[in-house]
Amino acid sequence: MNKELEHSFVELLEKHQNIVHKVCRLYTNNYDAHNDLFQEITIQLWKAYPKFRGDAKFSTWMYRVGLNTAITLYRKSKRSIKTQDFEGVEFKIKAEDYDDTEEQQLKVLYKAVHQLNDIEKALVFLYLEDKDYREISETLGISEVNARVKMNRIKTKLRTILNP
Amino acid sequence: MDELDILKKDWNKEKVDYPKLSYDDIYKMILKKSSSIVKWIFIISILEFTFWIAISFLMKGSSYSGKLEALDLDHILIPISVISYGILIYFFYLFYKNYKNISATDSSKKLMENIIKTRKTVKYYVIFNLVFLVVGAVIGAIYGFNHNPEFSSQLELATANGQVFKFYAVIVIVIILVLAVTIGVLLLFYWLIYGILLKRLNRNYKELKKLEV
Repeated sequence: MNKELEHSFVELLEKHQNIVHKVCRLYTNNYDAHNDLFQEITIQLWKAYPKFRGDAKFSTWMYRVGLNTAITLYRKSKRSIKTQDFEGVEFKIKAEDYDDTEEQQLKVLYKAVHQLNDIEKALVFLYLEDKDYREISETLGISEVNARVKMNRIKTKLRTILNP
Repeated sequence: MDELDILKKDWNKEKVDYPKLSYDDIYKMILKKSSSIVKWIFIISILEFTFWIAISFLMKGSSYSGKLEALDLDHILIPISVISYGILIYFFYLFYKNYKNISATDSSKKLMENIIKTRKTVKYYVIFNLVFLVVGAVIGAIYGFNHNPEFSSQLELATANGQVFKFYAVIVIVIILVLAVTIGVLLLFYWLIYGILLKRLNRNYKELKKLEV
C-alpha cells in the first residue's frame, strides 16, 4: 500500500481516534485490554481502508469496523484478561468539568452498562453516539423494529441492574 | 429523563481525557500484525488441509500401501486418488472464496455469518475425510478378508482351532477401536480449539438471531 494512503489514513484516524477510544471504553475493563483492542481496531480499519469510499463519512465507517472488531474479530490476549475489573477503565475528567455528585451517578451508570452483553453494548454505544434506529439496524444487521424493541429492553435491564 | 439519556449527555461532552495517540503511535500500530479470530481460523484451516494431505501421503508411503500395490488395485486406487484431490481442490476453493468474503465493513450479523460459513467449509472437508477414512477402512478390511493370502492362512489356522468367530470379532473390534480413538481425538481437538476460538462469536450470533424471533 502506498505512502499517500498510509498518510491519509493515519491523519484521519488521529483526528477521529476518540471514537475508537469510546468503543474500547465500553468493551474493556482495564488499560491493557483497552490498548489491545485499540490496536486491533486500528489494524482492521487500516485493512479495510483501501475499500473506503469517500461517500460515507469516515466516522460512520469507523463505527461499523470498530464495533465489528469489538464484538466479533477481537481475540482477548492473555495480557488483557489477567485482571478483571467490572467498573471499567476510569479516565481522568478534566478538572473544570468535575462535579462530585454527578460523577458518582455516572460511575454507577457506566458500571451497569459494563454488565450488559456485547450486542447490548453495541446498541447502547450507537445510541449514545446519537445514531438513529435506521443506522443502528444497518450496522448490526437487524431490523429497525427489532432494534427499537431491544433498546427498550436494554433500558429496562439497566433499571433492574441499578435498582435491584 | 431515563438512565441512558443521562449517560448520553455525559458521553458527548468530550470532557473525558482519553489517551491522545500521536501520528507516529498510530503509524506504528498499522505496521503490526492482526491477532483477530479470522486470522486464527485461516491458520488453523490451512493446517487442517495440510494435515489431511500429509495423511494421504503418509498412507501412500506406508507398508500397508505396499501390500495394496502387491494386490494390483490400480484400477480402483487411481480413480479414488483423482476424486479425493478433486474434492480437496473444490473445498479449498470454497474455503478461500468464503474467507475473502469476510469483511469488517459488513453488518455485524453478515460478518458473523461469513465467518461461520468459512469455518463450516473446512468442517465439511474434515467430515468428508472422516467418512472417507471409515468407508476406506471397511472396504479395505473386506477386500483383505477375501484377497490377502496372509489373512487366509491365519483364517485357516483359526478354523482348525475352532475359533473363527473369535478371529473375526477381534479384527472387527480392533478396527472399530482404532477408528473410534482417531475420530475421538480429532473431535476433542476440534471442540477445544473452536470451542475457545468461536465461543464469543457463537454467543453474540445467537443473541442477534434471538432478536429476529
